[in-house]
Amino acid sequence: MTAPAAAAREPSLARDLIALTKPRIISLLLLTTLAPMFVAGTPSWSVILWTGIGGYLMAGGANAVNMYLDRDIDVLMSRTKLRPIPSGRLSARTVLAFGIAIATAATWVLGHFVNVLTSALALAGFYFYVFVYTRWLKRTTPQNIVLGGAAGAFPPLVGWAAVTGRVDLASLYLFLIIFYWTPPHFWALALLKQRDYGTAGVPMAPNIWGERETIDQMLWYSILLLGLSILPVTFGVFGLFYQASALALGGILLLGVWRVRARALRGESWTAVAWSVYKFSLLYLALLFVAMAIDRHL
Amino acid sequence: MPLPLPAVLWLSIALVVISQVMILRSTVRAMRAATSAQARRGIEWAYAVGPVIVLALVLVATWQASQAHAIRLELEAKASQSVAP
Repeated sequence: MTAPAAAAREPSLARDLIALTKPRIISLLLLTTLAPMFVAGTPSWSVILWTGIGGYLMAGGANAVNMYLDRDIDVLMSRTKLRPIPSGRLSARTVLAFGIAIATAATWVLGHFVNVLTSALALAGFYFYVFVYTRWLKRTTPQNIVLGGAAGAFPPLVGWAAVTGRVDLASLYLFLIIFYWTPPHFWALALLKQRDYGTAGVPMAPNIWGERETIDQMLWYSILLLGLSILPVTFGVFGLFYQASALALGGILLLGVWRVRARALRGESWTAVAWSVYKFSLLYLALLFVAMAIDRHL
Repeated sequence: MPLPLPAVLWLSIALVVISQVMILRSTVRAMRAATSAQARRGIEWAYAVGPVIVLALVLVATWQASQAHAIRLELEAKASQSVAP
């Protein structure tokens, strides 16, 4: 490794604070906030900017508070043990204070520069993620990410409300698409990280229900998602471009899950296919929301 | 040639309803198979049924919205015919 490259990876307070917000996850949350704004109408640059800033801060605050609450299990899992708290680089109190501070700033930014409904919806997403998902569901039920998926589904409502000042049936569909996308997306990862979750005592579906039942449910959720993603076309929200995109993307996701199931049934290794399903599911959501925005402006 | 919207509506609803029934069936099977310590059946059942109720309400609203959309399209078609020379 070259000296500049090594220096670039050295821990620093700024780098740790950014890491607390989970910027890679937030990039998808921001896309699912901003794309619906272009579905809902033609937003001004200032509304886009303030919604983006407020959305980042709120999601970042939720992620930081999540790291505070999960500090006891993060130290047990290989995927999370290098985070700032378990590795000892930041104190738990600092992380909690940082999370609350930026979520408070987000509430003010959205309420002051966008509108009160946008601020309230973003705050509701924060509370749902922190209290309902992290504190309640995550450690008590194998259906944790089914219901917890609602936390990640708030961003389209936030984006929609920023432009229209209300929530309607079309925006509820964007919420439901993310809600029903979460199980096949997250369980693909949970199948691969079963040992980690088992060590930490988190009751993920593959650990409690078994691989076969989890993969079956991933398949049915993918079929449900395909049908659900087409329905907004029937009441005039989207046209043919979106319909074709939703069918193609949903078909690829379904095919991937089908391949995992077929391999599992034959007793063959399915880990590489499950990993590709996980990665494609991220692309699926991003491309579907981009297709929505394009379709509305064709 | 694209399918007419009523066909798209009912095909999509059929996919959603059948999948949701299969998910519930699978969840019940998984709950029965889980050990008693893991199975808090009442609350697990509530977790499974909650989203189904929301989804059912959204599907009813979708049917109403698609009916309204069809009437709007019909009126627009009639208006364009009456304007044409």
